[in-house]
Amino acid sequence: MSKIKNYDAIVIGGGHNGLTAAAYLGRAGKKVLVLERRHVLGGAAVTEEVFPGFKFSVCSYVVSLMKSNVMRELMLPKFGLELLPLESTLTPLDNDYLIRTADADQTYREIARHSKKDAENYMRFGPAMSQIGMAVRPILETIAPNPIRPSLSDISATKKILDHVKSLTSKQFEYLTKLMTMSSADFLDEWFEYEPLKATMAASGIIGTFMGPRSPGSAYVMLHHYMGDIDGAFRAWGFQRGGTGAVSMAIARSAEHFGVDIMTEASVAKVIVKNGRAVGVALENGDEYNSNIVISGLDPKLTFLKMLDEPDLPSDFVSAIKNFRIRGSSGKVNLALDALPNFTCLPGDGHHLRGAISISPSYDHLEKAYDDAKYGNFSEAPFMDIILPSVLDPDMAPPGKHVMSCFVQYAPYHLNGGWDDQKREDFGDAVINTIARYAPNIKDIILHRQVLTPADLESTFGLTEGNIFHGELTLQQLFSLRPAVKWADYTTPIKNYFQCGSGTHPGGGITGSPGEMAAKKILGIWR
Amino acid sequence: MNNYDVIVIGGGINGLATASILSKAGKRTLVLESRNTVGGMASSMEFTPGYKCNVFNDTIKWIDPRLEKLLKLSTKGLELEQPEILKIALGENNKHISFHKKNSKTVESIARYSKNDSKKWEEFSSYISKLAHFLEKLYGLTPPSLPNAGLKEILGMRSMLGPISKHGTRGIVDLLRVAPMMMPELADEWFENELLRASIASSGIHHLSFGPFAAGTGYNLLHQHVHGNGVFHNAQFVKGGTERFAIALKDCAESYGAEIQTSKKVISIDTNDSGCIGVTLEDGEQVISKQIVSGLDPNNTFINLVGPSNLSPDFKTQLKNIRYRGSTARIHFALNNLPKINGVSDDQMKTIFSISPSIEYLERASDAVKYGRIAENPYVEFVLPSLLNSDFAPNGRHVLSATVQYAPYHLRGLEWSDQLKDQLKTNVINTLEKVIPSFRSIIKHTSVISPLDMEKEFGLTEGNLNQGEMTLDQFMFMRPTISSSQYRTPIKNLYLCGAGTHPGGGLHGTNGFNAAREVLKG
Amino acid sequence: MFYENKFTANTQLKLSPFFERTSKLNESQEWRRWAGHLAATSYELTHENEYFAIRTKAALLDISPLKKYIVEGPDSQILLDILVTRNIAICKVGQVMYTPWCDEYGKVIDDGTVQRLSENKFRITSAEPNLEWIESNSTGMDVTIKDDSYSTAALALQGPNSRAILNSASSKSLDSLKFFWMMDTTFKNIPVTISRTGYTGDLGYEIWMDPKDALTIWDILIDKGKTFGITPTGLHALDIARIEAGLILLDVDYISTRHALIEARKSSPYELGLGWAVKLKKKNFIGKMPLLNELNNNSGWSFVGIEIEWPGFEKHYRDAGLAPGLPSTAWRTSTPLYNNNQQIGYATSGTWSPLLKRYIALAHVKSKYAKEGSELMFELKVEHFRKLTKATVVKTPFFNPERKRSCPK
Repeated sequence: MSKIKNYDAIVIGGGHNGLTAAAYLGRAGKKVLVLERRHVLGGAAVTEEVFPGFKFSVCSYVVSLMKSNVMRELMLPKFGLELLPLESTLTPLDNDYLIRTADADQTYREIARHSKKDAENYMRFGPAMSQIGMAVRPILETIAPNPIRPSLSDISATKKILDHVKSLTSKQFEYLTKLMTMSSADFLDEWFEYEPLKATMAASGIIGTFMGPRSPGSAYVMLHHYMGDIDGAFRAWGFQRGGTGAVSMAIARSAEHFGVDIMTEASVAKVIVKNGRAVGVALENGDEYNSNIVISGLDPKLTFLKMLDEPDLPSDFVSAIKNFRIRGSSGKVNLALDALPNFTCLPGDGHHLRGAISISPSYDHLEKAYDDAKYGNFSEAPFMDIILPSVLDPDMAPPGKHVMSCFVQYAPYHLNGGWDDQKREDFGDAVINTIARYAPNIKDIILHRQVLTPADLESTFGLTEGNIFHGELTLQQLFSLRPAVKWADYTTPIKNYFQCGSGTHPGGGITGSPGEMAAKKILGIWR
Repeated sequence: MNNYDVIVIGGGINGLATASILSKAGKRTLVLESRNTVGGMASSMEFTPGYKCNVFNDTIKWIDPRLEKLLKLSTKGLELEQPEILKIALGENNKHISFHKKNSKTVESIARYSKNDSKKWEEFSSYISKLAHFLEKLYGLTPPSLPNAGLKEILGMRSMLGPISKHGTRGIVDLLRVAPMMMPELADEWFENELLRASIASSGIHHLSFGPFAAGTGYNLLHQHVHGNGVFHNAQFVKGGTERFAIALKDCAESYGAEIQTSKKVISIDTNDSGCIGVTLEDGEQVISKQIVSGLDPNNTFINLVGPSNLSPDFKTQLKNIRYRGSTARIHFALNNLPKINGVSDDQMKTIFSISPSIEYLERASDAVKYGRIAENPYVEFVLPSLLNSDFAPNGRHVLSATVQYAPYHLRGLEWSDQLKDQLKTNVINTLEKVIPSFRSIIKHTSVISPLDMEKEFGLTEGNLNQGEMTLDQFMFMRPTISSSQYRTPIKNLYLCGAGTHPGGGLHGTNGFNAAREVLKG
Repeated sequence: MFYENKFTANTQLKLSPFFERTSKLNESQEWRRWAGHLAATSYELTHENEYFAIRTKAALLDISPLKKYIVEGPDSQILLDILVTRNIAICKVGQVMYTPWCDEYGKVIDDGTVQRLSENKFRITSAEPNLEWIESNSTGMDVTIKDDSYSTAALALQGPNSRAILNSASSKSLDSLKFFWMMDTTFKNIPVTISRTGYTGDLGYEIWMDPKDALTIWDILIDKGKTFGITPTGLHALDIARIEAGLILLDVDYISTRHALIEARKSSPYELGLGWAVKLKKKNFIGKMPLLNELNNNSGWSFVGIEIEWPGFEKHYRDAGLAPGLPSTAWRTSTPLYNNNQQIGYATSGTWSPLLKRYIALAHVKSKYAKEGSELMFELKVEHFRKLTKATVVKTPFFNPERKRSCPK
C-alpha cells in the first residue's frame, strides 16, 4: 500500500460514526485516514455471510435513527443506502396476538379488539411522542455545553436550550420531565391498560440497556427510540437492503468519494501523544501514522483507557471514565432457516412477517427476564426483537430459504461463572425454546445458528461489555455528562484527540449524529 | 362554627406547622383532625395494654431549621436527642458496621472489614453532605411554575447561588449525576465491602416501592441527608416519643390562638364558581373560611373532598397519574425481655438497626413488589423505643418497632387479610431471628400495620407514607403535579401543605412552612 | 345495468351490517374509508342521481360507521351536562340535541347528537371514537358507558319522500314526529327507533336498529320505497348536501383538539359558528370559563358560508379559452381567501350546488371579515395558474327548505 504517512486526521474505528466523521472531514477538504481493526467495515453495523448463502446484519439490525441531513449531505442514497420500511410489530401471545401496522384504521381496530380505550389513546400517543421528539431534537442537535467554567459558546448554547425549553407547552414539559425520569412501564400505564401492548411498547425502553421496563430511566430510552427519522417521519423503522453493513458501506463509499483513505485489518494499538498532544497512531503491527488530529470512534473506555496511557490523563477524568457505566446486557442469535417460521397465533405466510416480531407478552415476562440477568444469569425466557430480513430482501438468503435475526435480552456480560462454549449453547437453546413457544416449527427449520453473547460482541466488535450503545443511556450519562463532564463536546483532555462514537452525545443507534457533530466541532476548531 | 380566615385540614406535622405560622401572623385558624389525636405521621399509640409505640416514625431525620427559628419549639417541650450510634447495619455471621455521630468512630468500625473503604468514608460523607446542601436551599423554595417561570420566580431562586459559590458549578453537576443514580452505581464508585455498600443502598430505598437497582434512588438517599451536618445515616430521637413533636407544634399553634379540633372528619371541601368557600364535616356541619389548606394527600384532597366533577380533565388526569404505591409495613412487638442482638453489646442498643446484608438482598426483597407479593426475606429496620422512653413498656419489658420493606399495597391474587399479615409477621420474625436468636420466644404481642391499614386508618392513599413516592418524576415542580406544585391548586383559595408537596415526606415541616408562606401571599 | 361483471375481494377494513346489500349495489365500486369501514362513495358511476334523490326523492344511506355510545345510570344527565356545551337538563325523553363538546380550554373535540332514550339513558353519536374521553370524565359518577358502535346499525333516509316511505313501512305514523325528536316503532314487527335527524338539511330521518335486523330493514325500505324513488346513496352526494346545509365535518372543516398538534389547529365552538350551542348559563361544563372569556373578548376567527361570484369566475375561464370549470364533486382541500392581498382565511370545503346553481363553500375567516356581505378573494386554479376571484360572505344554510322542520297539517 502506497499510502501517504501524513494525514490531517486519523479516525480510529471504521464504525458508522467513525466513517461519518471521516466523510464530513473529507468533504471539508481534509486528508483523512480511517483505520479499522477488522476485515470488514461498519463496526456494529456490518453484514457478513456467516453461512454460505446466508447473510446477516450480525449485530445492529435495524435503522431508524439515521439523521436525514447526514443521509443527504453525504449523498448516502447515491452510495447504496436503501431503507425498506418495517411495516408492523407483531406480539405473539399464547392464544392470541397483537399486531400494529402502518395503517391507522387497522391498528385502531386491532388494538380495540383488546381495549377500546387503548385504541383511542394509541392514536393520540404517537403524535404526542413525536411532538416530544421534536421538542428534544434541538437539544440533541446542540453540542453539549460545558457547565464547569463555561465558555461564551457554552453559555450561548445553554441559553438557546433554555429558551427552547421555555417555548414548550406545559404539557410537553410535563411529558418530557416524565420521560426523562420514569420507567417506561409507569409512563405507559398512564396511557394504556392492555398488557401486551404496554409490554411491547415498553420493550423499546430496555433495548440496549441493563434495565427492566419497571426501572426508572427506561422511559428515556423509549423516547430515544421514538426519534426515528427515516424520510423525516418520526418513529419509522427501516431495514437496509443488504443488511446494516450496507449502511456502513454507503458511508464508506461516500467518504472515499470525498478522498478519505480507509484501511481494514489495521488494528490501532496506541495513540501517540507528545507533549500532551495527539500526533498520530501506532498499529499493532508496528506501523505508525502521523496526523494533525486523531479521532476515536471507539467507546469511552477504549478511547481513553486503552488507546492512551493513564498517566497522560488527569486523574479525575480517568476516574470519571472508569465510572462511566457500560453494561452488556444483550445477545444476538442469527438463524439460517429452511423455511418460514409458522406462528401458532397467525399461521402461514403474511404481512406480519414483514415487520418486527416482539416476544414481549407482558411486563412480567420482561421483568422476569431482567431479574435473571440482574442476578447474573441469562434470561431463561428472554425478551426478543426478531426480524426476518430475507422476507424484506430476498437476496439475504438462498432462494426459498430465510434468515432470522433475534436481538435477545438479557444476557449479562458478567455471567455467573463467566461465559463459555457450553453456556453460549445453553443461551442459544433458551432463545430457540422461547421462540418455539410461539412458532413451534422453528426447531425443525434451523439449518445453522450463530449465537453471540455479550462477550462475543465485545471480542468481535470491540464493544466494551458488548454494549451496543457504548454506554448506558441513563440520565447521568447524557448530554453534558456523556461520557464525562467538561469533555462532552467531542474534545478530550489530550489536545488534538477527539471522540466521535456512540459514547458521546447524543448516544447510540445508527444515527450518524455523534460522527457528524464531532466532525463539525473539529472543523469549527480548525478554522 | 365561626368564620375563620383559614381552615387547615389534618393535624399532622405539616398541618400544625402551617397553622402555627398562620396564627402567629394573625390569621384566625382552625385545624380539623379526623382522628382523636393530632400527630399524623408523628403519632404514638398504645398498641397493647402497657406498651406504646411510635406508629410510623421512631426517628426524625431533620427538622426545618426555619421552623425552629420562627416557632422556638424547644421552648414548647420539644427535645431532640441525637444518639451516639446512629445506625448499626447488621450483616451475616455477626458482622456489623456501626455509624456514629463522630465520623472517626464510623471509620474505625468500617476498617474492621475494609481498610480501603474506611479511608474513603470521610470524603464520602462530606460529598453526600455537599450535595444535600444544594437540596437544603432548594427545599426552602416554592418550586417555579415551569416551563414558563417568570422573572420573579427565577430571582426567587437566587438562594441557590449560595451553595454554588461554595461548591462551584461542579457541585451542581455532581448533584445532577448522583440524583438519578441507582445505588449499586454509587456504591461502585466508592466502596468494596458489601455490608457497607448495602447499608448505603438502604438509605436510597427508604419507603420506596423500588429496590436499590432503581435509577433515582440517589435522590432519595440525598433526601434522607438534608440538614445532616455531614453525618451519614443522621437521625434524631424525640424525647418522650415522636408524638411530642406534634404536641409541641399543637401547643405552639394554640398559644398563637389557633383552634385545634380533633375527631372532626371533613367529608367535603365546598366550592363554587369563585373557588373554595368552606368545608362540610361528617356530622353535616358546614364551616366557612376564606382560605383552606389541606395537609392530606392530593388524592384525598381533590378526588375525595373536592370531588371529580369539580376538577378539570387535565388536572384529574394528573392526579390519577400520581404514584403512591405504599410498600412499607410497620410491625410493633411487645417483648418480655430485652432482645440480645448478635455481636452488639447492651450499651449499643439505643440506635437504629438495619438488616441489609447485601445490595442483592435488598433488591431481591424489592422484586416482590413487581409481582404483587410480600417479600419473603424483607429489608427490616428496627428500633427499641422502650429503651429511650421508659413509659413505652412496663419495667423490664420492651417494645421493638420494625419498618418492613417490601409489603406492597398492590397485591396480585392476594389481599391484606389477617392471614397475609400473619405471613408478613412470620417473615419478619424469621428475618429478625437471624440476628436475634430465639426472638420468637420473647414476643408477648404483635401488631402489624399494613399499607391497607395505613390507608383505612390514617387516610394515606395506597398506604404511602410520603403522600406520593419520592421519585424524580414527582420531585419539585412535578410534586404533586405540574399544575399544583406551588402549594396552590387549580381551585382558588385551596392550598396544599402535606408531604405530597415539595419537598416531600419526612417529619421536617418544610412543606408546612413553605405552604404557610404562600397562603400569606394570598 | 347492462354488463354482468362480478367479482369478490378481500378487505382488511371493517364492513357494515348492510355490506351484503351495498356491495352488490355499488356499480362504481368506489369506496371511501369512514371510521375504518368501507363506505360507498357513489353507487352509480356518477353521483348526480344520488344527489337529486336527496333533494327530490328519497336517498338511503348506510351510516353505521358513526360512533355511538350509550350512557346510562342515575348520573347520566349530570355527566352529559358536564361533557357537552348544550343544556341536556332540558332535553326531554325522545328528544335529540345536536351539540359540540370541548376540552377544558374550550376547544372542540367532536360534534354529534345526544338522544335521550329514557330519563337516565342517552345515546351519543360522534364522528370519532370518544369512549376514553367520556369514561375519563365519569370518575365518581354512577353511570355505565357502553360502546354502541357495533351493536346498533343505522340508516339515513333523507329527502322529500322519506316520510311517505317510512309511513308505509312503519306500524306507527311519523306525521307528528317533530324535527330533532325520535320515536320507537316497528317494521314488520321488527323494532326500530326513528329520529328525525340527518346530515342533509332536508326532510329526513335516521333509523336505528339491531344489526341482526339490518338486512331485513334495508329490504323493507327498498321495497316500500320503490314507488317513491328510493335511491341508495353514497358519500359524494351526501357531501354536496351537507355543504348546502352548512353542516361541518370533523377532520375536513376542523380538527379535533385531541388530535391537533398545535394550538392554531384548534377551534372553539364560536370559531365554528356553533356559538348558539354553547349554553353559558349552565352551572358547569368542560370548557365553560375559557368560552365565557372568549365570548366577552370576541373570537379571533369565524366560520362562514361564502359564495364564489359567477361573473368573475366565468371570466377567468373565458380568458383561458375555456368554459367555466366547475368542480364535479365537493372538494375538501384548504383554499386561501384574501382581502387586499392579505390572506385572511381559508375555505375548507366547497361545491357547486346543482340545485341552487351557486358555487358555495364553507370557510374560516378572521372575525373582522365574517360579516354577511363581506367581500373576499377566493384563490382559483385555472389551467395550472393561480387566480383570485371575488367571493362574498353569505348566510348559511345555503339551502333550507321549509319541509325540513314542518309536519303535515
